[in-house]
Amino acid sequence: MIEFTVTDIAPMHPSPILTHAATAYQAPLPGPGKFTRWTGIVWHKLSTHAAYLISPLCVLALWTWLTHAHLFPPQIAVAPLAVWHDFGARLSSGELPANLAISLERLIFGFAAGALPGIVFGIALARSARVEAYCGFTFAALRQMPTLVMIPIFVLILGVDESLKIVIVAKASFFPIALAAREAVRAIPRSQLEVAQLLGLRGYMLYRQVIVPAIVSGVVTGMRVALGRSWLVLVSAELLAADSGIGEMMELARESLQIDTVMVCLFVTGTTGFLLDRLLRVIELTLLRRRLA
Amino acid sequence: MKSTVSPHTLGARSRRLDWRMFILPLVLLSAWEWASHQDAAHTYAFTPLETVGTTLWELLRGADLWINLGASLKRTLWGFAIGVLLGISCGTVMATSRYAERAIAPLYHMLRQIPLIGLIPLLSLWFGNGECAKILVVMLASFYPVVLNTYEGFSGIDSRHIEVANVLELNRTWRLFQVLLPAALPSIITGVLQALPFAWISAVGSELFFNAGSGLGALMLNAQAGARMDVLVIAVLAVTVLGSAMNTICVRFARRLTRWERS
Repeated sequence: MIEFTVTDIAPMHPSPILTHAATAYQAPLPGPGKFTRWTGIVWHKLSTHAAYLISPLCVLALWTWLTHAHLFPPQIAVAPLAVWHDFGARLSSGELPANLAISLERLIFGFAAGALPGIVFGIALARSARVEAYCGFTFAALRQMPTLVMIPIFVLILGVDESLKIVIVAKASFFPIALAAREAVRAIPRSQLEVAQLLGLRGYMLYRQVIVPAIVSGVVTGMRVALGRSWLVLVSAELLAADSGIGEMMELARESLQIDTVMVCLFVTGTTGFLLDRLLRVIELTLLRRRLA
Repeated sequence: MKSTVSPHTLGARSRRLDWRMFILPLVLLSAWEWASHQDAAHTYAFTPLETVGTTLWELLRGADLWINLGASLKRTLWGFAIGVLLGISCGTVMATSRYAERAIAPLYHMLRQIPLIGLIPLLSLWFGNGECAKILVVMLASFYPVVLNTYEGFSGIDSRHIEVANVLELNRTWRLFQVLLPAALPSIITGVLQALPFAWISAVGSELFFNAGSGLGALMLNAQAGARMDVLVIAVLAVTVLGSAMNTICVRFARRLTRWERS
């Protein structure tokens, strides 16, 4: 006698859409119908992914129509094609790559300057009662201070040259990473540490064999958060005070009312942030998989 | 024997004040004070603490700080309220209708990649430097996390809840309000929680970058132009204190609201 309920078959269903609980009760997608099984699956996949393109294409069409209808002055509404041409022009003139490279260089240096001490400090906070007692409170208090709002303070102390951007990025990345490292060390099961103690692991070997492997994926997660914030804060700092970089390029375009260039910069900034996040995400997943394996 | 067990495993941490935690702040403050008494260039950047004290007293007694603080708070609340309402509705629609999900999700994920502060040059060209543009930034700042958490809240609903709804043959409205929304509520609240401090910081940030009008950000921008480090420090402290207060209140509130979840 076969007897099963909805819960029994739900996890077995191959479609990820149906494991999505909220939509599980909806009518299933139109079936393959007259197609054979394989063409049906291909068609299904194609239509699922193509469906995600519909609304962006609609927005693009609407945007084009709005600019051609001259409902807004051309300084405010620029056609998508004009933005595309501007993108090509800035790319071939070398202006865009040069500014992006400068911004990325600042990001990398600042991030390294914040991340490495952040990891060390985070581990120290979790591992040593003394460090926690002396620095825990100050760490918690300083962590609350929003970097974005602190930019004017840094400008007064450091001026508007290169060190400003590096320090701001370092500050923005230090705290989330230190926090992630601290939480990751604290999350190590006590039993694991006891076994390590029993085996006589201490010092370098303890870190090498137990602690570092256990915290690495947590730290990378913290890095993702930190990198996203750092990028935002860096572009903001460049908007406010810089002579180069993608943010400064945007600010310059705004002042000369070149809305197409502003949009190009926005697009590049967004894409860069997305790609950086993807990169760390891939690292994160790889590490996680290796740990689980 | 020297214990190698980390401190957190030694039972609950004591709530007793530990004098050691004051040492580092004191050292930092004295370093600041020492730097401020070096020469004119240092005094420019590191204002002596006594000056910060007097300025604080003046600002607290005067109207300047309060007016700007009020303006920032008002902006935050408006943007936050609109952003949360839109976010919850948008997330709910996305989670309950597949067509809406197909339509909204790609746009949402594309727009989300753009740094909020980076949007400001574009927004100022479109909407000017007025109230509308700033509230829009705050709204977006609270919108994004709320949509994400609402959507995830619906996705994480225990399938048994939905089966009960199926058995009871609830219609869409009843299903939504009696079953789905309550089940998704903890996650929605988490999103709203994340959104409030975020909205606050982006409100002050937007004032800083639109450089017009009132608000703590505008106060800071003026202070920066006049090299008034004392005002800057006080403004940043005010933003920080209010931000963490909002955070604490939100966490408490959320715990109360979702008590049934844990019991």
